[in-house]
Amino acid sequence: MVALTLANIKMMARNRQAIFWALFFPLMLVVVFGLFDVNGVGSADVVVIDESEGPNSELLLERLNEIEFLELESEKLVFSEAWDKVAAGDLGYLIVIPASFDDPTINTEVNLVYSTRNPDRNQLVDGAVRNLVSEIQSASGPVVPAELLMADVIDVPEVDYFDNVLLGLLGLGIMMNSIISIAVRISTFRNQSILKRLLVTPLPIWKFFAAEITAHVLLALVQAGIILSLGVFVFGGHVYGNIFWVLAITALGSVVFLNIGFILSAWAKSPAAASGMGNAVAMPMMFLGGAFFSTAALPWVLPEVAQALPLTPMLVALREVAIESEPIWETWPYLAAMGAWVVVTAAGAVKVFKFS
Amino acid sequence: MIFCAIMEPAVQVENLVKRFGTFTAVDGVTFAVERGEVFGILGPNGAGKTTTLEIIEGLQKPTEGRVSVLGLDIQSKTSEVKARIGVQLQASAYYDYLNLTEILALLGSFYPKKTAPGTLLEQVGLSDKAVSRVGELSGGQKQRFAVAASLVNNPEMVVLDEPTTGLDPQARRNLWSLIKEVNQRGVTVVLTTHSMDEAELLCNRLAIMDHGQLLAVDTPRNLVNELEASYAVKLTMDRPMTMAQLEALNGRVEVLQSGEQDDSAGEEGENGSTKNTYLLRLANNPSALRSMLDEIAKTGLGLENLQITPVTLEDVFLELTGTELRD
Repeated sequence: MVALTLANIKMMARNRQAIFWALFFPLMLVVVFGLFDVNGVGSADVVVIDESEGPNSELLLERLNEIEFLELESEKLVFSEAWDKVAAGDLGYLIVIPASFDDPTINTEVNLVYSTRNPDRNQLVDGAVRNLVSEIQSASGPVVPAELLMADVIDVPEVDYFDNVLLGLLGLGIMMNSIISIAVRISTFRNQSILKRLLVTPLPIWKFFAAEITAHVLLALVQAGIILSLGVFVFGGHVYGNIFWVLAITALGSVVFLNIGFILSAWAKSPAAASGMGNAVAMPMMFLGGAFFSTAALPWVLPEVAQALPLTPMLVALREVAIESEPIWETWPYLAAMGAWVVVTAAGAVKVFKFS
Repeated sequence: MIFCAIMEPAVQVENLVKRFGTFTAVDGVTFAVERGEVFGILGPNGAGKTTTLEIIEGLQKPTEGRVSVLGLDIQSKTSEVKARIGVQLQASAYYDYLNLTEILALLGSFYPKKTAPGTLLEQVGLSDKAVSRVGELSGGQKQRFAVAASLVNNPEMVVLDEPTTGLDPQARRNLWSLIKEVNQRGVTVVLTTHSMDEAELLCNRLAIMDHGQLLAVDTPRNLVNELEASYAVKLTMDRPMTMAQLEALNGRVEVLQSGEQDDSAGEEGENGSTKNTYLLRLANNPSALRSMLDEIAKTGLGLENLQITPVTLEDVFLELTGTELRD
């Protein structure tokens, strides 16, 4: 098996064109996302807890609503829940209007809570809210503007949209390369009767599969290294977590997609058909798996569909480990989902695989 | 016990049947291949040769019947059989991105017993191509390499499926020499072919198959000798002969080209024969030939060409199947 694995690696390394194109697509996307300012200021989602519910606080809400880049969420949250959401990055801003806001005799402070994730946007939101509060309070009585707004800044690691996308691109690259590469390779081997030639030797079938998977997983790890290096060192992305855990999740994901490639290769009558089928399977996952945007924003039943796809748990696990520095065991539900995919796809591949 | 094992034939096929759905590819075939011989399976495409070989190689399971190879049951001892035989498939390619030495080393790594790639390449005359890739080889070199690949485990028997198909005459002769050399080293050779001259030249014994059935098994000489007719006579007349005239020629007559549809006698016919050409098979009896010539004289037709040749395997095949060997 070692000889076959080494031979596989040698063959893949010598097939320079295939290697180039396998890496080209995800790297091209890294460059595109790296060059464009995808982080931008963008719009800000805000939850307001109005403890005053008087005319002034209503006026403040009304004026906040008029600000174009603020999106007021209708969700009713208690302070601690909203705080946790801001800390986790699920919510941009929390504004707490105190009960005394409508009492002109008391000098009250509006509380604005945000994280350090988006400093440019924070500055903009902080300024806008401060001005509004000042305007409303000044109308009802003399106040000192500096004391109008208390900003609670939650210190979180610097994580931006590009960091999320970089891991999305990593998952995407591994998925595309694993599915299409193995499907085309096995289909070619079958068409050329190379598989049949192996079958007349005493080589056990499991060793053939194991050697193919080992060689492709090693290639996937090299690919992951190149994508992450380009993203981090050239375009300033961040990987905060343990890189070995990131690679372990990458390897597990690669096995799932290789198994899918084996299944497709059994159905494809030619390498060209295998390539087409690989794209047909990978493309929907690319958009539904959460590589570029949150799956929660998808309409209809698609968020549930997205959860059922193998790319989704891989990306969630990658982001939790790489961005949020979670230890790998904290992502066990996602690893378990990927493990289930490994078992199901392996069983499918063994059932449908054909040597000739 | 050891003596018994040594005496086992290289291959024993008993009442072999292989069906694919309703189609019967191999229909009750029984034969044995002795150790050390070159055994050929002769037949047209679709005769069931390759299916029979693939069952012997362990690639397919028989529907009915029993096959043992080197004394081992192929169904229960598949892996052991594979370790002791060498196989060259009819249309097998090798890895594009490995050179010849690397491919042989890789194939060798699958076997408990192996021969060094350099030795194998030397045996097949490809030492100078050791670091070339298969795509850089000529058709003849590719087939020689395929034979080298089948010898990688120093096998007791090699199975070659149509080893010379598609090769030019020179390359075919080179490969025949190689197969003879391999056999002279004590390796049993089982091959399929639809080439009569290849079968006649290479094989100690032949099985003739058609439509999944075994029609005869014997040495090429015995197969020819068993024919009633010993000579093939090819006549070309200046005008077409009538059926009565043909019947009077006292032999089995096959009309190669009648010329009745076309008066342009002497031109090449569709199958390469000339117009008004007739093929007769005559018994090994001088009076039969004399009688035939007398009958020709009686017709008053002009004899433009007369060829008398001993019968060949082609004639045996024609006799057994009623058809010429089809590709």
